[in-house]
Amino acid sequence: MNLFLYDVYHEQRIIKDGVIPPEVVFGASHYRPEFVGVSVPKDAYIHVCGTDLIRDRDGRYLVLEDNGRCPSGVSYVLENRAAMKRVFPQLFGASGVRPVDTYPADLLATLRHVAPRENPNPNVVLLTPGVHNSAYFEHSFLARQMSIEIVEGRDLIALDGFVYMRTTRGLRQVDVIYRRIDDDFLDPQVFRKDSCLGVPGLVDAVRRGNVALANAIGTGVADDKVTYAYVPDMIRYYLCQEPILDQVPTYLAWRDSDKKYILENLPKLVVKAANESGGYGMLIGPVATQAQLAEFHDKVSRHPRNYIAQPVVNFSQHPTLVDGGLEGRHVDLRPFVLWGDTVKVLPGGLTRVALTRGSLVVNSSQGGGSKDTWVLAA
Amino acid sequence: MMLSRVADHQYWMSRQMERAENLARLVRVSEEMLLDDETLGRGSAQEYWTPVLAATAMEGAFRSLYPNPQMGDVARFLTLDLRNPDSILSCIRQARENARSVRDKISDEMWSEINALNLFVTSPEGLQLLERFPQAYYEKIISSSMLFDGITDATLTRDEGWNFLQLGRLLERADMTSRFLDIRSQTQPSPVDSALESLQWGAVLRACSAHAGYRRVHGGEISVEGVVDLLLFSNEFPRSVRHCIRRADEVLHDISGTPTGRYSNHCEKITGALLARLSFAGPPEVMARGLHAYIDELQVQLNAAGQAVFESYVLLPGEVDRHFPRGTRPESLSDWQREQQQQQQQ
Repeated sequence: MNLFLYDVYHEQRIIKDGVIPPEVVFGASHYRPEFVGVSVPKDAYIHVCGTDLIRDRDGRYLVLEDNGRCPSGVSYVLENRAAMKRVFPQLFGASGVRPVDTYPADLLATLRHVAPRENPNPNVVLLTPGVHNSAYFEHSFLARQMSIEIVEGRDLIALDGFVYMRTTRGLRQVDVIYRRIDDDFLDPQVFRKDSCLGVPGLVDAVRRGNVALANAIGTGVADDKVTYAYVPDMIRYYLCQEPILDQVPTYLAWRDSDKKYILENLPKLVVKAANESGGYGMLIGPVATQAQLAEFHDKVSRHPRNYIAQPVVNFSQHPTLVDGGLEGRHVDLRPFVLWGDTVKVLPGGLTRVALTRGSLVVNSSQGGGSKDTWVLAA
Repeated sequence: MMLSRVADHQYWMSRQMERAENLARLVRVSEEMLLDDETLGRGSAQEYWTPVLAATAMEGAFRSLYPNPQMGDVARFLTLDLRNPDSILSCIRQARENARSVRDKISDEMWSEINALNLFVTSPEGLQLLERFPQAYYEKIISSSMLFDGITDATLTRDEGWNFLQLGRLLERADMTSRFLDIRSQTQPSPVDSALESLQWGAVLRACSAHAGYRRVHGGEISVEGVVDLLLFSNEFPRSVRHCIRRADEVLHDISGTPTGRYSNHCEKITGALLARLSFAGPPEVMARGLHAYIDELQVQLNAAGQAVFESYVLLPGEVDRHFPRGTRPESLSDWQREQQQQQQQ
């Protein structure tokens, strides 16, 4: 995906070679034409990736979606592990469970790796939307673990192409920003004018290469749900390899034949908005009401580029404690991948669980829970 | 060096906590007084509360929220009314929000204690206690705040953040102690009712946990001069205005690295001048000037000190206008900001 992002923001070979239709890239709402031709440190766009995996009826792992903007949840991985160690210490002894608590140090190394001008001692900060964000706990947790400052937009100021933080001793330059706010809110001079979370002039400083952002601006074009359908083609195109993991079959409403199929089979399909996250803007056909079906019929007909559909994959369940008894609940898995001087996959991951019986929606913003997940030493 | 916003949160976290504690002290003693028949003389409970509200600068807010006050309304207004931004509950909520914003800078134990208090004040047990044994309810708030202070002392690294936290607590304590004195200065001097007067000054001492300290210095008889001497000018009593200002002055010099006795910014200038004033005066000067007028001047200086801290360390001069157009109050942005903050999640 980093190769893809570099390409679409530079030569756009993959489009010129006809592998991905231009409208897929240019029609993605998170595509940032302002960043074409702008280089980012080490050509790294996605430094932190949280890909969602599910296991289907046949036991195959499938990629459900790629999260390449600001994937969240890693603090739950660490906290779940701490809770398990406290409650079931006896389980750990002989099992050979690989530790996950190296993550903050690895993340910090990843962030320092992209410091402008190879600065050996960069000032790295975490940019949070603030205490009202549902992931604020995680922001605070990670900043604390990495011993870096957690800043809000109002703590930063861009002057003459550099970014500074406002301290009791005056301004101090910032080199790397691990940002946990969306592109749209980063800089009111460039993106949403009404953003009060961002820093006016930040994007200019990024363009000039005076500050690095992780993840970079514009990565949303790669985790767009329409782009998703082309990821296997990307892998073949850039790496000349076959994908190791399969995907969930995906119908793209902007293709006329797919649109017809989607509209005719809505009750059998899961329909997702192409650029939403957090479980918002989706329809689960088999459990939807007539009104919801009609609403999505209308939405898909009118904005086909914005919607995709997938067959309902009855992904795996896991025994879960519910009201004092064990019951099956659907789970997915989000491993975290860091892309610094090497690629590091966290030996663990966020297993998200849909706590409502039969539900396939695991997002924490929709009431999902999470479970500790072990990777055993070979 | 630390983020200005973080310094501000640390300062307000402890300042709001101290304010909640002092309000609890005030209400506890007032309610206890009201149980005694003699306290009221010929007046009503309402008349008893009026100077309390005036001294805490909340009279106007109370009148507009309770145009026809009933029994217990003042205590309700000061304790659990969230429409009153300075009620005990409002202060605890704000202290907790400030703590949340600097969660990564304070110890786990501090966080636990502030949450425990925040949950207690509106818990069913808490409310039942307030209903049946209000003294115990307020004592619990007071001891929780003091525990928070103790935990802070025992667990927090002595860095700049610690200094800002001390500063908030000390300035608030100085302010509230002076307000406690002001309550009695506003009571109409009743014609030679010295028994009632010493009862009332005794209540002020109790509100400041100063009874024992008073007896050590001034013996058993309670006089206005003695109380003023202890609560304004004592160098040893930890809740006296002078003691708090001396400590605040030290903390400020610790932050800037300037030797005490000199100043490098406006807040050091104010606390230094205030300290000199309190060090070279005593009850005779206060009585000559009039207690209320003296305290009024003192409070102007205390407010100026708080404002100067904000201007020297939180707002960087010259940067203010870039962020907020002149005249925009940051609070008016807060709802909008909250909405945007909630939207960001993948």
